[in-house]
Amino acid sequence: MKSSMITAVLLLFISIIYAQSKTIEFIEYDLENGLHVILHQDNSTPIVAVSVLYHVGSKNEDPERTGFAHFFEHLMFEGSKNIPRGKYSEIVESNGGALNAFTSFDQTFYFDLLPSNQLELGLWLESERMLHLMVDSVGIETQRKVVKEEKKQNYENQPYGSLLEETFERAYSEHPYRWIPIGSVQYIDMASYDEFMDFYRTFYVPNNAVLSIAGDLSIDQTKELIEKYFGDIPRGTLEIPRPDIIEPEMTSEVRDTVFDNIQLPAVIQAYHIPEMTSKDMYAIDMLTTLLSTGQSSRIYKELVDNQQKAVAAGSFPLTLEDPGLFLSYAICNAGVDPADLEKSMQAELDKTKSELISDAEFQKLRNQMENRFVSSNSRVAGIAQSLAEYYVYYGNTNLINTELDNYMEVSKEDIKRVANEYLTEDARVVLYYLPKSSQN
Amino acid sequence: MIRKLSFILIILLSVTVYSQIDRSKVPEPGPAPEIQIGDYESFTLSNGLQVFVVENHKLPRVAFSLVLHRDPVLENENAGYISITGQLLRTATKTRTKDQLDEEIDFIGASISTSPAGVFASSLSKHTEKLLDLMSDVVLNAVFKQEELDKIKKQTISGIKASQDDPNAIANNVRKALLYGKDHPYGEIETEESVNSITIELCKKYYDTFFKPNIAYLAVVGDITSGEAESLIEKYFSAWEKKDVPSFEYKNPRAPLIRKVALVNRPNSVQSVINVTYPINLKNFSEDDIKVSVLNRILGGGMSSRLFRNLREDKAFTYGAYSAFASDRLVGSFRAYCEARNSVTDSAVTEFLNEMRKIRDEKVDADELEAAKNYLIGSFARSLESPQTVASFALNIARYNLPKDYYKNYLKNVQAVTAEDLQQMAKKYIKPNNAYVLVVGKADEVADKLKPFSISGKLDYYDMFGNEYDPTKKALPEGLTAESVIEKAIVALGGKENLEKVIDKKSTLKGEIQGMSIILEIYQKAPDKYYQKFDMGMMKQETWFDGEKGKTVAMGREVPLEGDQLNEMKVEATLNLPLKLAELGITPELTSMEQVDGKDAYVINLNLPSGKYWSQYYDVNSGLLLKQVRTMDSPQGSITVTSQFSDYKEVEGVMYPHVITNSFGPQSITLTLEKIEINIGLDNSVFSVQ
Repeated sequence: MKSSMITAVLLLFISIIYAQSKTIEFIEYDLENGLHVILHQDNSTPIVAVSVLYHVGSKNEDPERTGFAHFFEHLMFEGSKNIPRGKYSEIVESNGGALNAFTSFDQTFYFDLLPSNQLELGLWLESERMLHLMVDSVGIETQRKVVKEEKKQNYENQPYGSLLEETFERAYSEHPYRWIPIGSVQYIDMASYDEFMDFYRTFYVPNNAVLSIAGDLSIDQTKELIEKYFGDIPRGTLEIPRPDIIEPEMTSEVRDTVFDNIQLPAVIQAYHIPEMTSKDMYAIDMLTTLLSTGQSSRIYKELVDNQQKAVAAGSFPLTLEDPGLFLSYAICNAGVDPADLEKSMQAELDKTKSELISDAEFQKLRNQMENRFVSSNSRVAGIAQSLAEYYVYYGNTNLINTELDNYMEVSKEDIKRVANEYLTEDARVVLYYLPKSSQN
Repeated sequence: MIRKLSFILIILLSVTVYSQIDRSKVPEPGPAPEIQIGDYESFTLSNGLQVFVVENHKLPRVAFSLVLHRDPVLENENAGYISITGQLLRTATKTRTKDQLDEEIDFIGASISTSPAGVFASSLSKHTEKLLDLMSDVVLNAVFKQEELDKIKKQTISGIKASQDDPNAIANNVRKALLYGKDHPYGEIETEESVNSITIELCKKYYDTFFKPNIAYLAVVGDITSGEAESLIEKYFSAWEKKDVPSFEYKNPRAPLIRKVALVNRPNSVQSVINVTYPINLKNFSEDDIKVSVLNRILGGGMSSRLFRNLREDKAFTYGAYSAFASDRLVGSFRAYCEARNSVTDSAVTEFLNEMRKIRDEKVDADELEAAKNYLIGSFARSLESPQTVASFALNIARYNLPKDYYKNYLKNVQAVTAEDLQQMAKKYIKPNNAYVLVVGKADEVADKLKPFSISGKLDYYDMFGNEYDPTKKALPEGLTAESVIEKAIVALGGKENLEKVIDKKSTLKGEIQGMSIILEIYQKAPDKYYQKFDMGMMKQETWFDGEKGKTVAMGREVPLEGDQLNEMKVEATLNLPLKLAELGITPELTSMEQVDGKDAYVINLNLPSGKYWSQYYDVNSGLLLKQVRTMDSPQGSITVTSQFSDYKEVEGVMYPHVITNSFGPQSITLTLEKIEINIGLDNSVFSVQ
């Protein structure tokens, strides 16, 4: 009783004032060659994040060359005309910096986090990468093996490590999301040097990239330096292919079993959701928060805490440039039948379809979204990445400051509506992960 | 117009100036920025709680982290109860149930997590007071409920099961056991059994003993003034009562005297998890600590360190190879690690050892040293982006009694490290010959090639809980009994009927020991008469047993058989022993499955009435006895005699081993059955003890 009183008082209070998060100031412009530049100045710590987003991911790959974009990311650390093989990371680290990169379905992202007096170094490095990559056969052979080890380490030798691969290949029949960025290792052996150079000339061009820099910098000086290092990189001349394949709608459920080196069975459901720019994605994001964020969230509370059928459970949308997937998953507590666990999970999903959530729960969701929004931009590296992604996918860099408004426009009815629209049982994939020992 | 003009000028300027850039040169850095460590305020409540406040108003957020400074606690047979207590802490208070706590925390979009040594809470700053209300309630008024403990135990046991297939979880477990041993708080491993034994009283006692303000430090970070913090902390934590907390001391483990190879077999591994590891005596915040961090940076601290360059960029054995030194208030550790495909597992170990030797034997060059220092200075600067870093500095200074300017001098101290310092550190802490080479992988493919790394030549096999075991032992089939194994042996020997037809027999065996030939004649008569003549030329020995009494004569000296010797003689003398077990009061017990010369064998312990037992190994396939192990008392103490039987051949319907190898200690004699005569009408006088 007492707590509901508090809740009521809080409701009044919170719905009026939202946290005044500091606006993230930025400027953005294009170079002559089409490179989009975004700069954010924050002088509180003497570091600077230099990042380049190339708008190419596994969905741009040839089905006979899956894993290519990610393999290419490895090659991009090999060196350039002016950077000998293997020196790339050494130059960054020996100057006090850190670096890394990742490849997703939609993009390849590189970043260097440097002391702010080394900004020019970062620009030189990234411009070298964009201007004249150099790889030799030794580098290619080495990275072929390294990528195979990466796949073993992160996928094949890990319990449930094949989960995304198994899910995506069943959920998509046409669209290139049917394979995941790590791809199939046999293809990287087949790729030839010419294919690498074609890929480079097609996708690693300024007009397919965003240079996003955040941190302790002066805008004017940075602009000059950018012109100096990137201004003379020629615009790409080849057409940049973007997949226009529309995945046909699933008409019936796909239900399958994967036997893995595991002890505890797991259940995964995957539902089709729209592309990330769809307005419904905000409601879907709040739906997953309702189901899975915090110990009072529905799936956690029921499956893990109350019924104790799961050792872990939750849901998350894979928000992608083209229509993606909403996953809900649960790993059985010892001795629990996965079919029984699935029933409990289904009950929670069904409830979001049949019942409108309460005002208090809705307010909780809004508060959680606010907290996440405010907390998400605490580091310059994260800010640089978010700015680039908002520009590339939404064409609206300023979403970094305003996106919370879109969440606040979502109504309780919207959440129920998207649950009904997208969590459809006849257009989903259901996978059971079972211990190999139970096979036969 | 003016703007346009200046725009053109800039373009001209950029063309003229920048077309000149020399891309072949690494750009020079600008002047080094000053690295400033933010300030903090501190105060202490009258109950002893020390509070540190780092103001940072960049984002409207606030975080509180409470840390208990206590000695590590040994859990013994209840391993896991301390971490479970940490989880239980967030499950109920005197006035809130778990559901209420969950609801109230999530409602304000906050998070509160608890551990055995502290609590972390964060939220938007507008919810600060509510957050402190919840956090202090958890810390001061925790209630421990059986039902919540049961839930967590169930989860923990499921977690233990899940980790049985995770090669890294296995490696971490076994590493703990190897480095620290299970009687050290760092080496304890949770098992289903230990978790099941945890009681609510144990958890409550831990909380009552250790959650005390006088050993607690609270860091307050974010959008809050120190004035606000002081009054709020006073309000929510001053009722927390202080109490003396016990301290503990432990004997610290040392690195192994010789390099050992510890293998955990994970038959479906496509890659091995490799650790070269050992405990070191490296205290945190000691003078060596900073030097060692520079050393590690060069050896294996990142993408441009030696291990990564060698094992990944040069050899392509792995996705990444690294090293790490852990400095600690009790005992630290070193490890070099990677995951490498099965076929290069041994080569990866070779390279780890090579790099370890190299950094010990050769001084690092100036460029490498400079690069490492720059990297560490850069990381330090980057870490300051988070206001939590400044708070952790303040806490460390207080907890470990460091000089107030420890972190202000940190960069200076890094800069001062020399190549000589590093070689001295390497000689002190890098021990390629005193390491455990721990591998979790597919034994079939990696074991043999790992043997050479073991200085004794022996591989030590461990299960995932860090228990050493004999890999030749296998799991027994369900439902199998000792009786059925014996039954199968009888059939294999020729069947009961054929065995019972044998009334007496004489066996003649020949062999050789140290160049001298041996003849052994054994006479046996049902039910249990026995005579044996052992002839080694110079040395002869005869043994008689008439079913009740026995004696031995060797070198003219007569010794009667007595006690256990006599009892065992009766068993040994029994013709067709497998048929007579019950009669002799012997209970067979099926204990395990092991390998004998590559053959799977069931191990049966024959428990004699005397309390002693013989171990017999029956071939899983043929059913025949392959090996027998007996422990005998002798004037030199007990000795183990192992007999192995092979080359079974049929004689008059019964199978007899034609080669028998007896070994005791380092000696062994192989005897060949030259002749066996069945039912030759042996007279009782042959066995007479008179």
